[in-house]
Amino acid sequence: MQTHIISLLVENHPGVLTRMSGMFTMRGINITSLTVSPCEKEGLSRMTVAIDGSESELEKVRKQLSNLIEVVKVVDLKEDKAIIRDLCLMRVHVKDLNARSEVMQLAEAYGAKIADATLDSVIIELTEEPKTIDRFVDLMKHFGIKQLFRTGVTAIGIDTGVEK
Amino acid sequence: MTREKLKGAEIVVEELKNEGVEVAFGIPGGVLLDLYDVLYKDDAIRHILMRHEQCAAHAADGYARVLGRPGVCIATSGPGATNLVTGLTNANMDSSPVVALTGQVPTAAIGSNAFQEASTFTITMPITKHNFLVTRTEDLPKVIHNAFYIANTGRKGVVLVDLPKDVLATRADLNLHPKETFTGYKPKIKPNPVQIKKTVEVLANAERPLILAGGGVISANATEELRHLAESLGAPVVTTLMGKGAIPENHPFSLGMAGMHGRIYANRAISECDALLAVGTRFSDRLTGWQLDQFAPEATLIHVDIDAAEINKNLQVDIPLVGDAKLALQEIIKWLEKKKATSPGSVWVQRIREMHSACEECIGDVRREGTSLSDMLIKEISGVLDDDVIVTTEVGQCQMFAAHYYITKKPRTFISSGGLGTMGFGFPAAIGAKVAAPDKRVVDLAGDGSFLMTCQDLATCVENDIPVVVCIFRNCYLGMVRQWQELFFEKRYSNTGLGTIPDFVKLAEAFGCYGERVEKPEELKDALHNAFESGKPAVLDMIVGQEDKVLPMIPPGGSIVGMIGTERCKLI
Ligand SMILES: Cc1ncc(C[n+]2csc(CCOP(=O)(O)OP(=O)(O)O)c2C)c(N)n1
Repeated sequence: MQTHIISLLVENHPGVLTRMSGMFTMRGINITSLTVSPCEKEGLSRMTVAIDGSESELEKVRKQLSNLIEVVKVVDLKEDKAIIRDLCLMRVHVKDLNARSEVMQLAEAYGAKIADATLDSVIIELTEEPKTIDRFVDLMKHFGIKQLFRTGVTAIGIDTGVEK
Repeated sequence: MTREKLKGAEIVVEELKNEGVEVAFGIPGGVLLDLYDVLYKDDAIRHILMRHEQCAAHAADGYARVLGRPGVCIATSGPGATNLVTGLTNANMDSSPVVALTGQVPTAAIGSNAFQEASTFTITMPITKHNFLVTRTEDLPKVIHNAFYIANTGRKGVVLVDLPKDVLATRADLNLHPKETFTGYKPKIKPNPVQIKKTVEVLANAERPLILAGGGVISANATEELRHLAESLGAPVVTTLMGKGAIPENHPFSLGMAGMHGRIYANRAISECDALLAVGTRFSDRLTGWQLDQFAPEATLIHVDIDAAEINKNLQVDIPLVGDAKLALQEIIKWLEKKKATSPGSVWVQRIREMHSACEECIGDVRREGTSLSDMLIKEISGVLDDDVIVTTEVGQCQMFAAHYYITKKPRTFISSGGLGTMGFGFPAAIGAKVAAPDKRVVDLAGDGSFLMTCQDLATCVENDIPVVVCIFRNCYLGMVRQWQELFFEKRYSNTGLGTIPDFVKLAEAFGCYGERVEKPEELKDALHNAFESGKPAVLDMIVGQEDKVLPMIPPGGSIVGMIGTERCKLI
């Protein structure tokens, strides 16, 4: 079991998201994260899908995705050949000044931003690799996370870029 | 010059004509009034009014399988569309090119639970190759063109076009017959030369080569190439259910259908071969059995398929070859000839001969002990019908009797529900087949249970002069399920007895069809003759043993080498 990131270029048609997610459901594959957004090509959108599965499952998914009529391109992004990012927003409880300064220090160490602050909480914004965010989230649990939002991964291939 | 603005419904019909559509099977409804009005005024397309939408889809499917080009079915919104679902799933599972047009409530009402609204687009997404919900009249030409292009290229399948009422009623000024297609849709046709070379290398060096032909061979019109390759290579051919007809089954190299209800020698050949060239098959569980390590354990596996997603899906293969079956076979033949490959060891050819004749003997001999009425009837049918007759089947024992004993000699003359196993398919598929090939005789080999699922369309046959013949194996049971209950559930016949069966002869007559009862196999020949001579749609009520079984078979959980019920096979 391993996390795979698939980058898709799809026609921006109504229903394309349902079709895509339906394909995964039909094949019994669990999507751990899915992002969609417009891209540099008019009429097309880019989707980044993260799934957990074996290499052979990934291969099957890739082929099934390529078979979808509205999918223009499927790229399987290898971790070491891609910039992978996730955006996390969280509200962390700070019960006293001590906690507040510790949270701020840790946030700084991780390159996170304090997006807002109240007397007893701060909102932290962090854009990083998913694993780094995981670690940061674990740390913040000690202080008490009130709310956590993550956008899910988006990724771009290095060297050649996603598309040639 | 000013162009006349066309109504959406007129645009649809113009585009259908441009795609070469001559026939459509359907049932109208409120949201389709505009479309049916055009069909009324313009008689270029023959519309056959069915009595159930499921039958419309099956008929379009049967039509497509006979002609090798898309069949068209039409249904109204809501219940009409949901009734199509079984038929469309069936066609798509068997890669049969069908284009379905469904009516939809007006765009403004979509999502409001309007009268007869169902979300056809989302319901049919997983059961079609592709589907469209058209929201603007201007999009109609491109959508209809692509529906046919997608349905009939690559791995063929079903495309559904959902047509809201206002889209059909609105007029638009536009260019008809566009050519643009989807950027992402490029069906891969040409096989990779490197893979071809590897294949040729393996086949040329094999001592015991075997060809496994699936429905893809028929779909790609590659049966001539297949036969040529088998002969030049000295390789026997086994088929899947869908591949029946890929090689004449009386050919000395044909070993018939393999798999769960296949012939024992077809399965043995799979176990014994050292190179297996599988063409246009997806290695379904009905073929392989449940123990995949027992499937062709000694063979180098070569898999030719138009759909890359089928490669290594059910079975890991050694040499994948993605591409059109016809092109792939042509290339293989060409390179094999260049290599001047020596034919395989005479031991293998001798073995094939033995296996072929052992099979012929069992299948031909109706007097062997344990022969049931069903066996005798199907052999009789196979003997009486000429090579050009198109046979369709329902699902169950009747289907497997047909698959096992009916000797198919030409492609596209054996039409059966393979992937979905849909009871009620055979009869409406026969209607489609007869419409596609009016000069050919069409016979549905049916179970009583299956026929009762779609028999209302006898009315369609009478009304439209479509004289198909239904031969019912009347065992008064849901026979195949009963057989499993007998063999694996100690004869606890839970809900498989059909109780009082209608009098099928009277049923036929009530519809205005010809009906005749066949009490003994000897009476069949005359009854079939009478049925054809009547010129009417006909139903033959053939009485068979209630507990007839279709054997041999691979039991649940078993493997291709573990067939049971082989007592009647001549074992060599
Ligand atoms: C629509 C549908 N419902 C249920 C089944 C499950 N099923 C498979 S074979 C069979 C029995 C078929 O009975 P019949 O048509 O009488 O044919 P026989 O097996 O007796 O030849 C059933 C119920 C099916 N294949 N299709």
